[in-house]
Amino acid sequence: MPEDRDWEAYKVPPTRTPVSESTSSVPNPITFIQTAFNYVVDAPVTFVREWIERQQAKNKFYYYHQKFRRVPDLSECLEGDYLCFFEAEAQWRRDRMVDQEIVEIVRDRLGACKQREGPNQFQNCAKEVEQLAQVTKAYQDRYGDLGYHGNARTCLMKQKHRMMEERKAQANTSK
Amino acid sequence: MAAMSLLLRAAAAWGARRAASGGAAGGARLPWLTGTARLPGTGAPVRHSSSHGKRMFIIKATSFYDTRFLNLLRFYIFLTGIPVALFITYVNIFIGEAELAEIPEGYTPEYWEYYKHPISRWIARYLLDSPEKDYEKEMALLDVEAKKTELRLMELEARRLMRHRGDGPWYHYETPDKNLIDNSMKSTPDN
Repeated sequence: MPEDRDWEAYKVPPTRTPVSESTSSVPNPITFIQTAFNYVVDAPVTFVREWIERQQAKNKFYYYHQKFRRVPDLSECLEGDYLCFFEAEAQWRRDRMVDQEIVEIVRDRLGACKQREGPNQFQNCAKEVEQLAQVTKAYQDRYGDLGYHGNARTCLMKQKHRMMEERKAQANTSK
Repeated sequence: MAAMSLLLRAAAAWGARRAASGGAAGGARLPWLTGTARLPGTGAPVRHSSSHGKRMFIIKATSFYDTRFLNLLRFYIFLTGIPVALFITYVNIFIGEAELAEIPEGYTPEYWEYYKHPISRWIARYLLDSPEKDYEKEMALLDVEAKKTELRLMELEARRLMRHRGDGPWYHYETPDKNLIDNSMKSTPDN
């Protein structure tokens, strides 16, 4: 069964709608609709769901997120050491997946902020916008144009070129 | 699409009217005209009809093969599909998915305990090798190939050097001993 989203992650502050004091003698029809929905849909579904959860609670088991040990990087591998290359490549792919998830989370944060603030988003979400800009720029710098066949080696070469450009720029500015 | 169905309905009505007029005329028509099914639902009126309305003998293309195919398809899909669906429903309701938990101190989880769904856990546990074993298998393959490349490069280097220096066992062609050469024909200058 697909799991629900984490409702606690982006908690919307409680609405401040005032309780309305109705002065008419006609009762609010929404209360009838609410009770009807409660009896027809909500109660049976909750009953079934709780029954299922009672059955599942009899033998609980857990799953964990795997923690991987850090292995020497590609820049620390000797030439021709294909095993070291393989391990560094696997670690680089895991790190890239983690970085992709980080970018997605920061993007979700901005979306949640926009949804929360509504018309105030341009003023109140500036921090999230700045954070997303920084994170995407960093991701683009590191993994950006490697293409489909990008691997740890091409990424290392890209980093080398970046450092060379930086050094050249520094030399130009210091001259 | 709506225009097409309108067209078909108009054509069916026209065909029915023609067939009705043909049947009323007494059947002096050519057999190949009345026998062909021009449109689905073209009917020919049948005599000895009971009370309600005109009984039509609906002439249409055979759907025997189509229905047979669909029946067989449904049968063979449901033959294993329904037990599998029931089994998966049973697992989802009564066993349920795992809950995410922090790894307890000093405990290394087994490799199947990193999956959520119980069937995935079962497959990982009993059918597949552990990812550590797969990793080691891949590294063993790489190691063998690396050693092979190393040996091949060394062989090429050795061959090159032996050809160049000529002091090794390769590129070494056995020549007969120079003491066996008969130089008698060269001993006199004129022959």
